[in-house]
Amino acid sequence: MSTILTTLAKELMSYFFSPVAYVIAVLFYLFRGLEVHGQVRAMAALGADRDLFSTVYMISPSSNFMVVLVPAILTMRCFAEERRSGSLEVLMTAPVREREVVLGKWLAALVFFAVLWLPTLPLLLLLNSEFFLAQDLPYGPVLTGYLGLTLLGAFLLAVGCWTSSLTDNQLLASLTAMLFNTALLVGPDMLGQQLGAQAQEWPWHVLLDQTRVRDHLVSWFCRGLVDTAQLTFYLGGAVFFLFLTTKSLEARRWR
Amino acid sequence: MIVVEDLVKRFGAVTAVAGVSFRVEVGEVVGFLGPNGAGKTTTLRVLTCFHPATTGRAVVAGHDVVEDPIGVRRSVGYLPENVPIYTDLRVEEYLHYRARLKGVARARRKVLVEYAMERCGVLEVRRKLIGHVSRGYRQRVGLADALVARPPILILDEPTSGLDPNQRRRMKLLVRELAEEHTILFSSHILSEVQDVSSRLLILHHGRLCADGTPQQLLERASGRRLDVQAHAPAEALRAALAGLPGLADVAVDSAPDGCARFSAALAPGADPRDAAAAALAARGIPLRELKLTLPTLEQVFQQVTEGADERAPAGAVA
Repeated sequence: MSTILTTLAKELMSYFFSPVAYVIAVLFYLFRGLEVHGQVRAMAALGADRDLFSTVYMISPSSNFMVVLVPAILTMRCFAEERRSGSLEVLMTAPVREREVVLGKWLAALVFFAVLWLPTLPLLLLLNSEFFLAQDLPYGPVLTGYLGLTLLGAFLLAVGCWTSSLTDNQLLASLTAMLFNTALLVGPDMLGQQLGAQAQEWPWHVLLDQTRVRDHLVSWFCRGLVDTAQLTFYLGGAVFFLFLTTKSLEARRWR
Repeated sequence: MIVVEDLVKRFGAVTAVAGVSFRVEVGEVVGFLGPNGAGKTTTLRVLTCFHPATTGRAVVAGHDVVEDPIGVRRSVGYLPENVPIYTDLRVEEYLHYRARLKGVARARRKVLVEYAMERCGVLEVRRKLIGHVSRGYRQRVGLADALVARPPILILDEPTSGLDPNQRRRMKLLVRELAEEHTILFSSHILSEVQDVSSRLLILHHGRLCADGTPQQLLERASGRRLDVQAHAPAEALRAALAGLPGLADVAVDSAPDGCARFSAALAPGADPRDAAAAALAARGIPLRELKLTLPTLEQVFQQVTEGADERAPAGAVA
């Protein structure tokens, strides 16, 4: 436990000192601010259902940026950099276990990922204020939407940790993770189209339902619904890829 | 303290360590010598549980490297070659992080980090980023990291590589000081350093242990030792007095203009005929002026041991 917390603290410090993290944050907040402002104004002008707000708010290009690119960028250096610089040897000859190091690094990435979203909450308050829209926007579904995105982030950060553990090339690690993230976002829909009517049959419909990440956000989290099947999918996915990461680190012993 | 039995490490078809056995007792400072690619780093990595051995056994401070790697790592402070440490942390932050990672209790952490920084002479750069300090300081930060949990054993892989002569001398002094409190196994290919610091030497070549002993023992066992005698007598009389002594070869005698003669002969490994030579000259009433046993340098011993191994096993037989 101590190793996990020590690694978490050290990695978080590295994130906060890293210029890359600040570039991501600035880009994200800039787009997010413009985007949300535009969305809410459009909804107000059209008189759209306020309940749709959380969906519109969550499913936006800046969310895609945070889902497809950011987890891959945050985690690309986790192990690839340690391998490249040789510091993995210093790390793994300390009295630590591989799984503790992996968990510590992943948790640090997850905390930083969640922290990146935090400043978007005051944005909502600001939009709600009388100076702007003086609207009574629904917070509950927005918060479950945040939960959904964080869970998806947890899963994709674990994927990023894994790809980073496979190589000493950070670029390769991040591109592989981005490829996976994109495939997860668009793959089930493309597969569904290819299958046609067959997509409604067992086992395809179960498989597609469980992996349609966008649907999970739109139809469940953004409506304030939290389903245990989806919790299991995201957390199970994270655990699976963290397990693979641990094995990939341990693999140096099999050579 | 460190017991290695028949250690073999293969990487696919390449055998990096081919059956090495040795012991390092408590309080010893053992220099691990060998040309580049001899298997030194691989052996040290097995001892620090970074790589497992293919076969064979290694026990460090009573912990088996396979069965109890965490116990081994708790007992060992390791300085890898090239000191790959995080450059984005400050020296003090890094040492605190490492102390925490090594399970040093919070109450003792500050004291031990101060101790390690003071011992390794990095107090003046404590607030600097590791990426901004010189190579010599970085090496010392790495050593401070190895020391910070006060482990009984230090394993140092080429601690002086890449340092300038002054930094090398300081590192050597530091290792010698640390030897008072720690058992040390360190690798190097700079022989003079190893000779100054170590109580015992292990020479590794092509993954095999070619020599094991104190520097003095290795020098005595080596060939290339010579006996030189100068005495006030004609050359032929000197030759007659000494040539029959056991263990001599390649005898040469010449006369000097001052009525003295010089006798020089190669000695067989282990032979020491100094007493016998003095007695032989005394028995014939020849006044002795100088009697000297010349030892080869450690460089020559190293060359003999490694090249001798090459002749016994042609290069390529063991990769």
